[in-house]
Amino acid sequence: MVNYGGDEVSALVIDIGSSSVRAGYAGDDTPKAVIPTTYGYHRAPPDADSAMPDVADPTQAGTGRSSKMYMGQFGPTVWREGMEVSNPLVDGLVHDFEPASALMRHAVEDIMRCNPSDHPILVTEPAWNTPANRERMAEIMFEEFQVPAFYIANTGVLNAFAAGKGSALVIDVGQTMASVTPIVDGFVLRKGLVYSPLPKLVHAHARHILANPNPQRRGIELYPHQLIANKQAVEVGAPPRFTLREDRLKATTDSWRNWYEAREVEEWIQSVAGVLEQGWNDQVAASRPPRQYEFPTGYNSWFAQERYSVGEQFFWHSPQLMASNPNLPKTIPALITESLRACDPELRQVLVGNVVLTGGGSLFAGFGDRLSSELARSFPHVKIHSPGNPVERRYGGWLGGSVLASLGTFHQLWISKEEWAEHGKVIVGQRCK
Amino acid sequence: MASSSEVRAILDLPSSSLSATPSLPQKKSSAPSARKPDGISRELFSLIGPSSTTLVAQLAKPRLKQKPNLGAGSKIKWEWRPFKNGARTDSLQLNHWTKASADPDAEYPFAKYNVQRPTHTYSQDEYTRHLEDPEWSKEETDYLMDIVNEYDTRWYVVYDRYDYPGGVPRSMEDIKDRYCSVCRKLIRNRPWAGDENSKNALLSSYSFDKEREVLRKRYVASLENRTPEQIAEEEALYMEIKRLEQNERRFKRERDDLLRTIAGIESGLPDVVEDEMHLTGVFSSSDPKRSKKKGGGADVLDSPSTPLISTPRERPRASLPPKNSAYDLQHCITRTEPPAAATSATKAAHQPAYLRSFKLPFPKAAIAQKVTQSLAELGVSHTRLVMPTQANVALLEGLLDATASLVDTKKVVDKVEFDIQVLKNRLGMQGAAKTEETDGGMDGMDVDDGNDADGDADGDGEGEDGRAQSVVSTRSARSRKHNRRSLSISSVDTSATVSTRAGTKRQRRS
Repeated sequence: MVNYGGDEVSALVIDIGSSSVRAGYAGDDTPKAVIPTTYGYHRAPPDADSAMPDVADPTQAGTGRSSKMYMGQFGPTVWREGMEVSNPLVDGLVHDFEPASALMRHAVEDIMRCNPSDHPILVTEPAWNTPANRERMAEIMFEEFQVPAFYIANTGVLNAFAAGKGSALVIDVGQTMASVTPIVDGFVLRKGLVYSPLPKLVHAHARHILANPNPQRRGIELYPHQLIANKQAVEVGAPPRFTLREDRLKATTDSWRNWYEAREVEEWIQSVAGVLEQGWNDQVAASRPPRQYEFPTGYNSWFAQERYSVGEQFFWHSPQLMASNPNLPKTIPALITESLRACDPELRQVLVGNVVLTGGGSLFAGFGDRLSSELARSFPHVKIHSPGNPVERRYGGWLGGSVLASLGTFHQLWISKEEWAEHGKVIVGQRCK
Repeated sequence: MASSSEVRAILDLPSSSLSATPSLPQKKSSAPSARKPDGISRELFSLIGPSSTTLVAQLAKPRLKQKPNLGAGSKIKWEWRPFKNGARTDSLQLNHWTKASADPDAEYPFAKYNVQRPTHTYSQDEYTRHLEDPEWSKEETDYLMDIVNEYDTRWYVVYDRYDYPGGVPRSMEDIKDRYCSVCRKLIRNRPWAGDENSKNALLSSYSFDKEREVLRKRYVASLENRTPEQIAEEEALYMEIKRLEQNERRFKRERDDLLRTIAGIESGLPDVVEDEMHLTGVFSSSDPKRSKKKGGGADVLDSPSTPLISTPRERPRASLPPKNSAYDLQHCITRTEPPAAATSATKAAHQPAYLRSFKLPFPKAAIAQKVTQSLAELGVSHTRLVMPTQANVALLEGLLDATASLVDTKKVVDKVEFDIQVLKNRLGMQGAAKTEETDGGMDGMDVDDGNDADGDADGDGEGEDGRAQSVVSTRSARSRKHNRRSLSISSVDTSATVSTRAGTKRQRRS
């Protein structure tokens, strides 16, 4: 028990990301509950008996604001008449706390089936979280969830811990945000923290490639499969033959359709797109084998060079693009350079020798290799720690929280209910440095 | 014959009350200490006796690694139990699993890791007296001390979080310098309970050289800010330097080689490799004559102790500077002259350093046994010296020389005595046959070889010296060889040898 310093007090760890909310017991190696952060809701409370054919849906959780929320596995992905979707996070920060707390409650109570008032809870936050936000989170935990103890930890630090490091340069590529965080002795160096909504740009670029017509093909329709009644097999590159579900089409909200089309693009990126390991090179890109992909409409095609231009957006922006858009998110190398420049010259070598690559976005094909070749160009001794296990890569922040909250020495850091009652919100800033 | 008590012991019967009582306590005491191990018969074990613990240990059966006892044995009861953490200030009670046997009031095992650094605080009075600094207000100093303690002097973090409202921007060196100087002044100006050393150690732990640190940081930064061209240039320069160094080294080596060839050992160059080669050469050459031939100074190499025991005639060397000799005397250094400066600087001519005890004098092989024997009579062993100091080795050498000459002398004496004996006998015989052969000695000598049969006896008898001379000349080869063998033997010996041989010859004939 004392050998590895662990002492489990059945704490829960909740990690809220842009794409998914992860919850599980501290000390586990995988979160027990992973649900999409996006939720569906009806703007006005519909008549439960008439409008909802699937009344027995257990994932519906009635909350305030006089609306019905659909969360979890059968939440937003299921087509419902007039269902809007929304995401409580904006740029990685919790923007709308009401659905966020509902999501956490759903994960803890409905999926993990445990009572939050019995367990200390550790929640994660991105490094650029605001003090007001974390205090609000503490308030939700203590007032709504009635937790006995609470702690809020930084995802950057937790990612470093998950990699077994106290000092590291954490490169975290999520669904909406890419960040570079220097960690020293378990503390974020705030001056060196940089982040940008780069993944959104990559996504937009991919969508642009698919939706816009080019000399080889027309623009691709990204209808989700829920809206397609039937389809027929067609030749490669031939126009798709399918019929839409007209009954659903008019009752589909824009937000849901947009969100689902984004999922289709994401799907395409994950299976087809990649990045060249040694920087952009037309010959190399042309020499790579093309890949076939079929969309829900039945349209299928081979994607060759363009699939590599998607990943290139992570690392390099063309001067025309930069000139046309002054607020372009910074590329990964630019972020790293900026972060290191803000650090002490002595620290730079240490950090570059302890790079931790994490986040689901970093699973982009060829990302790790490209990053190491980019770093090797400017630093002599680079060592990148990137777990090969996708679970560890995607849920690194949760994993670090699981490690931290099961340590015997950590239990003195919990903010107890008593302390919360005594000191109020100030204690959060004092304790969670 | 087994006694009744032994039989009882074998059969594991309770001993009869009367006979066994005296022996019983004895048995009991010995029983636990010497138990019969497995794998040995009882009879054999009783022969070994009680005091054979090592044997018992060896006879123990080899055991396989113990199998893990996976829950088959005693059950351990665990409890979900609330605990209090001593490192916390509040009354938070968390629960964890503990063994039911564990002490519920025991302190939380992880609380001991909550160590706090000693913090330095100061009063307003102390601040005004010692800590005033034009660049720092008291409020900012307070803030600094707080934040440094909060982050446990992790300077990078302290610097990162340092944000004094309305203060000037501070560099990490500023912060460190101020903190260290405050701590130093506080330690210095307060009464110190411990000794001076611990105070100094503590003070030195707070020493901080700001200028140097800034300079160092600047170097590090400039090192990092090199452009690729600069790095390439630096690389090229480095290669150039390496090349030049290599060239220089080659020049030096060639120059040394040249010097060695021309000036030999006099060049004063360290020549470690050749030394070693020489050493092995000496030790491998079993034949002393060979090394004698090789080395120009035959006497030096022949008696191995000479280089160390420098004889007086060797000592005043012209080549030794006077300063050196005084120095040597002071430091008990004995210099040995390199053998025969005239010889060329071959490897063999060079005398390397060696241990004195390696080269103890050794008697000549021919008489070694006799010398050893006679030394043994004195109770001296010449092969081993307890203290092979220079003086002792010199004494030993003298002793060996004296013993050798004694042995030689004794040999001569023996021979002479024998000769005398033989001559006396012959004299007696001659006295009986002393008739007409008093003349014709010179004639007989001429035909010595021819008429050996008759001229031998009379030749021997009549002229002591002349006759002997002739014999020497005729049997030159043999006698010269003998001569060579023992240089120290005098002319007496020669004549004696000759006469002995004459004697034997005659005996052979007759």
